[in-house]
Amino acid sequence: MSNIVFTGIGIISSMGVGREAFWMNCRKAKSGIRKITTFDTSTLKSNIAGCVENFDPSNFMSRKAYRRMSPISRMAVAASVEAIKDSQLNLDVMERERIGVILGTSYGSSSHVEDFYVSLLKDGPRGAQPFLFPETVPNAPASHIAMLHGITGPNSTFCQNAISAENAILYAQNLLSQNLVDVVLVGGAEELSGMLYSCYDAVGVLNKIKCRNDDTIQPILGGGLILGEGAGILVMERLDFALERGAKIYGTLEASVITGGTSAIDHYEVNGEQVARAMYAVLEQADVDPSDIDQIAVSANFSGELDRLEYDQLRIIFEAAKRSLEITPLKYLIGDFGGAGAIIAGASLLSLYHQEPLPTVNVEILKGTSQRTIEWNIHPPRETRFSLMTSTTYGGGSAIVFSKHPESD
Amino acid sequence: MSTNSFRRVAVTGLGIICSIGESLSRFREALFKGTCGIGPVTLFDTRGYIGPLAAQVKIQDLESFFEPKEIKRVSRCDVLGLIATREALLDSGLSLQQCNREKIGVVLGGGAGGMLSWEKYRRTEWYAERKPRPSLLIASAPCTLTDLIATRYGLKGFRSTICTACSSSATSIGYGFDLIRSGTHETVITGGSEALCELTFAGFNALRLVDPEPCRPFDRSRRGLSLGEGAAILVLEDYVRAIDRGATIYAEVLGYAINADAFHMTSPDPEAMGMSRVMAKALEVAEVSVDRIKYLNAHGTATKINDQMETVAIKRTFGEKAARDLAISSTKSMVGHCLGAAGAVEAVATILALYEQVAPPTIHLDEFDPDCDLDYVPNQSRSLEIDCALSNSFAFGGNNTALVFGRGQGKA
Repeated sequence: MSNIVFTGIGIISSMGVGREAFWMNCRKAKSGIRKITTFDTSTLKSNIAGCVENFDPSNFMSRKAYRRMSPISRMAVAASVEAIKDSQLNLDVMERERIGVILGTSYGSSSHVEDFYVSLLKDGPRGAQPFLFPETVPNAPASHIAMLHGITGPNSTFCQNAISAENAILYAQNLLSQNLVDVVLVGGAEELSGMLYSCYDAVGVLNKIKCRNDDTIQPILGGGLILGEGAGILVMERLDFALERGAKIYGTLEASVITGGTSAIDHYEVNGEQVARAMYAVLEQADVDPSDIDQIAVSANFSGELDRLEYDQLRIIFEAAKRSLEITPLKYLIGDFGGAGAIIAGASLLSLYHQEPLPTVNVEILKGTSQRTIEWNIHPPRETRFSLMTSTTYGGGSAIVFSKHPESD
Repeated sequence: MSTNSFRRVAVTGLGIICSIGESLSRFREALFKGTCGIGPVTLFDTRGYIGPLAAQVKIQDLESFFEPKEIKRVSRCDVLGLIATREALLDSGLSLQQCNREKIGVVLGGGAGGMLSWEKYRRTEWYAERKPRPSLLIASAPCTLTDLIATRYGLKGFRSTICTACSSSATSIGYGFDLIRSGTHETVITGGSEALCELTFAGFNALRLVDPEPCRPFDRSRRGLSLGEGAAILVLEDYVRAIDRGATIYAEVLGYAINADAFHMTSPDPEAMGMSRVMAKALEVAEVSVDRIKYLNAHGTATKINDQMETVAIKRTFGEKAARDLAISSTKSMVGHCLGAAGAVEAVATILALYEQVAPPTIHLDEFDPDCDLDYVPNQSRSLEIDCALSNSFAFGGNNTALVFGRGQGKA
């Protein structure tokens, strides 16, 4: 068994602000996909996304602390505050150099990139707004977390599309296993700005749905992406450190793998070879068979291409498990974004800790053709030992196995 | 895992394109000669800025590298990165056909990525000149170059892009080192690329961090940085495998460290604690004592505060005496501040210093500053016996990285 465990979770998401709210809605498969109200979508072909609502940063930090922060930084810092509180880490007695902050995001603050550039277009070189510029770097959220908590250990940010948070988790593991740190705040974050949304709309990859206020949203399976936003921060530490301080343990990082594929930059792998390779490798690393896996969180995002390749590969790998394959495409509920892996990891860990399974759909839904509506299955509590999380992005794939920790019994 | 089970990591291939040289050999010549690559910018209009100059690259012979259709789709950042990668792989002498490509990773550091393409899209849209081409948006993610390199060369190992502004590509070299040292990978392509764009140009100008003249690191009259662009790619390999295949070993990566100032988004910690701790930690990981470091490639941006704080940090880490014995240079005086690519460009400069046993100069250093009173190798390179060398990168957000290199055995 691996000696790296998770001891704290903070989540800001479209399915709920705060870990408890998120978990309650996650158990019920209550979707966070809604009509966008934060920016104008009238000229676009779509108007739905997994938007975070009712998030008040002042519940997590002082106004002075968040005044100059971008939306992504606010969400990431808020999630870090919740995660640290949950973990009961006492930073005052800790060596802050032995704590790391490692995040993943696709783009960082796209709203600040847009606002700064527009200030330049409008007012010229002498009118560009200096206070907007520092937030345009993708490492701003991780830096704010370090500043707010006075954490001076390793700090880095990974931008690898949909496996950004997964990249962060692997790097955190790299730091912990070399004993360079005792604890890492690891996670992912993304903000949905009008600029980012309109770029995806222009490229033509979004689920083309224009809903009115009172519509029940029925995304088109395989019809294109539904974007989202949010932040998830996990407290990750070595088992000995967690045990010594008597921490509550959500679960263990059993094994993790990232692989590369060789597809073009704006398409997924045709057959998903790289993510299948990641899944086989992670099962081998964790020393478990496909039949030992109790639940599978996948990265299907309504894109068609990705959903279909995940279907094909899961069918091959889990055929031996000889059962009707149930999976959890959480992005169907929170939308797709670079740091989403941290929230999906958080959901997997909450499920292991509470021994309450994630909601599932039948794998056939990933084919996207036979069904129009998504029927979620909600399961009563049952023993769940191994949870697989798999993610695919342009050219890359990842697989992580989390396990229930005996201490949480 | 005991220390003995760690693999050693060799640098076996280098590729670089920047304002003072569009290939490794030209860069090497210009670097030791002390050539200034900072001048007028033609990529966009720089009238009205406090500092209109930058270190722009002249990209030649694009057609020999890309299909006409491809040229329209790749960003300037990706073009620079792919050119440097081609050179690094050729230079390494690796025969990819004979390698297990699942064991070759690509770990890069990114900066603004395809921002220049996005700006073109946004500007066209803003002035409503015509409908902008959506394909300009495709290459705008920071990880596009990482994916393009893997796709072009069929590399199926680990994939990662680190985005911590000015320390990104230095950290990518560190992560590549980890992947080989732990035995999970045989080879890792690391480094980074950065293209000039209006966003960063206007940003550093708005923060008044730019010198109207070419930058003057450590000089008393310095007024700020000069931005630059370019790409540098390093091929890292398992040392024993590199020796077995008779590769040229430019240098050995001995260790690295990253940390956070946790102080301010754009100003360094006035006590320079983050900077000194990151150097000390890198030396500790590398198991190298301070007296073995003979050359230090400084972050040396030429802002008033950075150069002063970095000097304080070097003294604190090395002690007054060892700090005075160090040959320190800021190669940004020649190539400008290449942001996401800076760490990799400077790692190449550091490795060449080790390989050639010559410390490159800090140019435009004419006036002594009592706050910067170490040996910055002013204006002329110097032959020097260099056993080990250190390269610093400090970023916006207080993200610091230090890399430690040792002398390789050279040509097999």
